Amino acid sequence: MSEHALSVRNLSTVFEDGERTVHAVRDVSFDMRPTERLGVVGESGSGKSALALSILGLIEPPGKVTGGSISLGGREISKLSDRQLGAVRGKDIALVLQDPMSALDPVKTIGSQVIEAIAAHEPELRRSAARKRAAELLGEVDIPQADRRLDDYPHQYSGGMRQRVAIAMAIAHNPSVLIADEPTTALDVTTQSQVLALLDRLVEQHGTAVILITHNLGVVSDFCDSIAVMYAGRFVETSGVDHIFLSPTHPYSEALLKCVPNPERLTDGPLPAITGFPPDLSRLPSGCSFSPRCPVGREVAKCHEQAPQPLRVEGAAGPATVECHFAKERAGEVQGVSEVRP
Amino acid sequence: MSTPNTAITEAQPIAQGATILEAQELSKSFEVRGEDRFARKHLVTVLDDISLAVRKGESFGLVGESGCGKSTLARCLLRLLEPSGGRVLFEGEDLAALSREQLRAMRRRMQFVFQDPFASLDPRMTAGQLVEEPLLVHEIGDREERRRTVLEMLADVGLTEEQAERRPHAFSGGQRQRIGIARAFVLRPDVVILDEPISALDVSVQAQVLNLLRRLQTQLGLTYVFISHDLAVAEYFCDRVAVLYLGQVMELADREVLFSKPLHPYSVSLLSAVPVPQAGGRGRRAQRAQPIGEISSIVDRPKGCPFEPRCPVGRGRDLCKGERPPLVQHAERHWAACHFPGEMGVGRGATSQQPSEVQR
Repeated sequence: MSEHALSVRNLSTVFEDGERTVHAVRDVSFDMRPTERLGVVGESGSGKSALALSILGLIEPPGKVTGGSISLGGREISKLSDRQLGAVRGKDIALVLQDPMSALDPVKTIGSQVIEAIAAHEPELRRSAARKRAAELLGEVDIPQADRRLDDYPHQYSGGMRQRVAIAMAIAHNPSVLIADEPTTALDVTTQSQVLALLDRLVEQHGTAVILITHNLGVVSDFCDSIAVMYAGRFVETSGVDHIFLSPTHPYSEALLKCVPNPERLTDGPLPAITGFPPDLSRLPSGCSFSPRCPVGREVAKCHEQAPQPLRVEGAAGPATVECHFAKERAGEVQGVSEVRP
Repeated sequence: MSTPNTAITEAQPIAQGATILEAQELSKSFEVRGEDRFARKHLVTVLDDISLAVRKGESFGLVGESGCGKSTLARCLLRLLEPSGGRVLFEGEDLAALSREQLRAMRRRMQFVFQDPFASLDPRMTAGQLVEEPLLVHEIGDREERRRTVLEMLADVGLTEEQAERRPHAFSGGQRQRIGIARAFVLRPDVVILDEPISALDVSVQAQVLNLLRRLQTQLGLTYVFISHDLAVAEYFCDRVAVLYLGQVMELADREVLFSKPLHPYSVSLLSAVPVPQAGGRGRRAQRAQPIGEISSIVDRPKGCPFEPRCPVGRGRDLCKGERPPLVQHAERHWAACHFPGEMGVGRGATSQQPSEVQR
């Protein structure tokens, strides 16, 4: 068996719409250890959610996964039939979405839905035992008086509680990999920190590897131990989490970090916004896809002509893999935009 | 202490500079049908006795979690909602005392920018028409003047003459929000209420819109009321901030003071829960205090301090359970409604305090 919880190789996904082909995920490869917490960040339209759905085999026409392999705990799952995949999904690998209402049916009780999630992979379980297990699960995600609240409907739960129920359903079978797509974006900060604490427990108690997809770099810092910055369907920088905050090497990572309002730089004038827009994924620029917006490469011929290859560099907080022609120079020169605070 | 009203009036957070917009003991209740089998009607109090004053030219922040009443407060301030009690004064004039005609004239000077730029724009109108509409409503200028004003306004928010002909669906989220801003600003208002103006936007676009709002404020000498659930953004953008919880002001202070020396345990919890995009986040998160449980329901709000059931400092204390703390001044320009202000560690990196130790 492989030591990786999840191993993705050369994954590509396109959406075909008449004459346009949108390249949502372009040749992405990465590995995850058990208990690893990987943050995937990027702007809307960078391919973050398409990546999640591709890994889970949930891409629907007009989209399709055009290539690559996905290995879950050493088992290749990208070639499985829908039925075989159904047995894996929700059991060995699970998904939590931003809006818990999309995972919950408003006309069914919370209990019946959690029981359904349990029974999906344990059909032989008796109903009373499943109900008991459902109450335990809700207790695990801190729903107070869980056994009584099983008979409530989703609208009787607060947003934070609904998200915790969605997590309870996702972890019902102790998956080895959990993909959480913007799980806290719709929540208040205090509720967000409760959900992150819950995910902490999941990792610590069950050894789950978590992919946390988010646009919030603060959440990545708070929860993750590694990070992938996604731009135009590719991981343009991957590293340990502190590297991004101390020495962001790809100009896009640096720009993304700098445009977050930072009260310590209040007097520095306007926030440095990234100029232009993310590229149209059906008409990608030649060369580096960030080159039209890039403060470093905008005027450089090479950046417009040649797609950069992943380069391994040593930053202030360890190694990183960066897809930029200037990665080596920048790894030496970029000053951290933030200091480590105790 | 049993009549918090008087206490609040005595210590009313009257601004030092010229006050432009003021809420006096403002409250708002809605009648709702209960979820019991008889669907009995009862009153839900969303705003409970709020007093605050916004100064001319400042950015005044209203922050708090969902359900704290910040949007209801903003709507009452513009009299888009009728308050159930108390008064709103605009330049000293009671809005409720104005005639329909006077209110209409006043509305021109107070505008609103909404969170969701798509929901607030009519999809059938072009950007130019959308920005012209407020001018038409208020019968300002002739056709040619209006056209000129609209194009100038669009240019101000970074949209071109060619884009004026396009409809909302042809724009990105950030551009739509620019149209929303142009629509609010074209009347040259004095006060603009910004209700979560950037929450629906990508980070890179958020920066552009914040920059735009800053520039327009300086150019036009505007007063902003900035509503946000994102404290980092409020800290970046606002001069003074009021923290709301369950329809009450918990704390009100200048930005630097609130973010460096918060007095109310709720402010401390809220501040420390904001993830900071800096190295070492996991260590910081492990150390900070967690508020306990969920936000209380506004239907059966606690009798004493609204935060008491979740408060790491006051949970279970008789005083906190029994008496609602009045909003009183604790330092210069710093008000808080707490029986035990400052007992919880200060600001960012506040260490957790065991509620059990406090209760003893």
